[in-house]
Amino acid sequence: MADIKGYDMPDDLYYHEEHSWARVEENRVVVGMNDMFQKEAGDIVFVDLPDEGDEVEQGEVCGKIQSRKWIGKLCAPLSGEIIELNEELEDDTGLINQDPYGKGWILAIEPSDLEGELGNLMHGQDQLIPFIEQEIKKTEEERAKA
Amino acid sequence: MGAWRLFKNAEYPASTALGLSIDDTLPLSLSAHGSLPILHLYTFRPSAIVGKYQDIEAALRLDRCRERGIEFNRRSTGGGTVIMGPRVVALGLGIDIDQPGMRGGIRGIFETLSTVLLRALQDLGVKAAFVPKNDLVVEGKKIAGLSAALEAERAILFHASLLVDFDIPLMLDIMNQPPLKISDKGYNCFSDRMTTITEQLGRDIEMEAAFGAIEDSFRRAFGVSLEIDEPDEWENRQIRDFSQNRYNNPEWIFSHKHPRSHMGTGMLKTRGGLLEIYLSLAGNTIEHIMITGDFFSTTRDINLLESSLKWTSSKPEKIEEHLSGVWRDEMIYGLDVPTLTEAILKARENALNPLQKIM
Repeated sequence: MADIKGYDMPDDLYYHEEHSWARVEENRVVVGMNDMFQKEAGDIVFVDLPDEGDEVEQGEVCGKIQSRKWIGKLCAPLSGEIIELNEELEDDTGLINQDPYGKGWILAIEPSDLEGELGNLMHGQDQLIPFIEQEIKKTEEERAKA
Repeated sequence: MGAWRLFKNAEYPASTALGLSIDDTLPLSLSAHGSLPILHLYTFRPSAIVGKYQDIEAALRLDRCRERGIEFNRRSTGGGTVIMGPRVVALGLGIDIDQPGMRGGIRGIFETLSTVLLRALQDLGVKAAFVPKNDLVVEGKKIAGLSAALEAERAILFHASLLVDFDIPLMLDIMNQPPLKISDKGYNCFSDRMTTITEQLGRDIEMEAAFGAIEDSFRRAFGVSLEIDEPDEWENRQIRDFSQNRYNNPEWIFSHKHPRSHMGTGMLKTRGGLLEIYLSLAGNTIEHIMITGDFFSTTRDINLLESSLKWTSSKPEKIEEHLSGVWRDEMIYGLDVPTLTEAILKARENALNPLQKIM
């Protein structure tokens, strides 16, 4: 567990700037939304997912997530084929809030260019700390102006 | 000073297909057509519009809508059902989330745009406040609703509806309610929870005046001018496309991509009086709740309690946690959080298992 400014951002994951994460397993990549997103969004109401077998490109919007009155995007962190969806989310989207890196995983991808694309994602505290700080700073600056 | 574009139509209420198609074009025009931010102010014909992931057949009495000639449709932003009409301001805004003046994050976006509307209301003489999840309220009563979606690239579509005047009997007739026993008190239930600019001022105002206050507030908040404009040729093509393929398409309007809807009632005799809870669930989430009965409390406190639960998980520990977050002693005379939670859980149980007895 790595706490960055109050957000849990585990070191072993790779992060897309639109707040999705990727965990590399043997021959697949598990995908979810990070702790910062779930805390900002609040209780997740619905997840609109692609179908198994769909092909996605890195950065492509492959799903939508509703919390309260906001609908956000799930961006594919890596290109490949969707090979599994987390069916438990059908009954309980709150898993994304309760356990964003565990039971709240969203889908799994069979990557088509893992080596080539991993470098486009953020990994490790050296990259994550400036990213989180930047996200927080903008909010604080605008709040101070108001 | 930068300039934004202003699409404005105060004269002719729009069909749902046209109004929503223009709105969907706004963020697309920013991300794919190089447009400046666009503010769209207009009104709808009498209509009911559900949120993107709502079950329209559970939310509305479609037979009554058809009989009364009330349009119904599905918007592309989140949240619940809104009843629109010629005396309700419809606002669509296409804006980049990195726009100077916009706070970061989801909460920041809602805070920023709520503040703009609060100042517009203040200029009209209405002192409102932003209450997360229940939008803009005056003394606990809702006067405006907000919703948003992150669309293409970094562009969002923000929707707001602002009540200048409102037809509560129409709403009661066309919206599906939980198995209520409130036919005789339904009007009061809603009039205790909603208000309008007309009610607050004690007089009528022109829609143009409401539009003008909103325009001025946007100008001040973002330091921009608003230039009256119309959709260009590229945008009109997108509008036609959305109208044809989305807002006149039954597959969109009756989409089944939504959590399961459940409605239920819970009643509990307590030492503070009879508690009656009316609950609408979207999956496991509380979409709507009304706390009524013959206990002693204030409209403001009841609305605060209801607001704390809207769009949150209906799990027992979450209900108790959210109620505890706003609870004060004697908020409902003679009641405590565990008792109120128990009544809500009865409603939840009846919603999830409708064949059981509702008491």
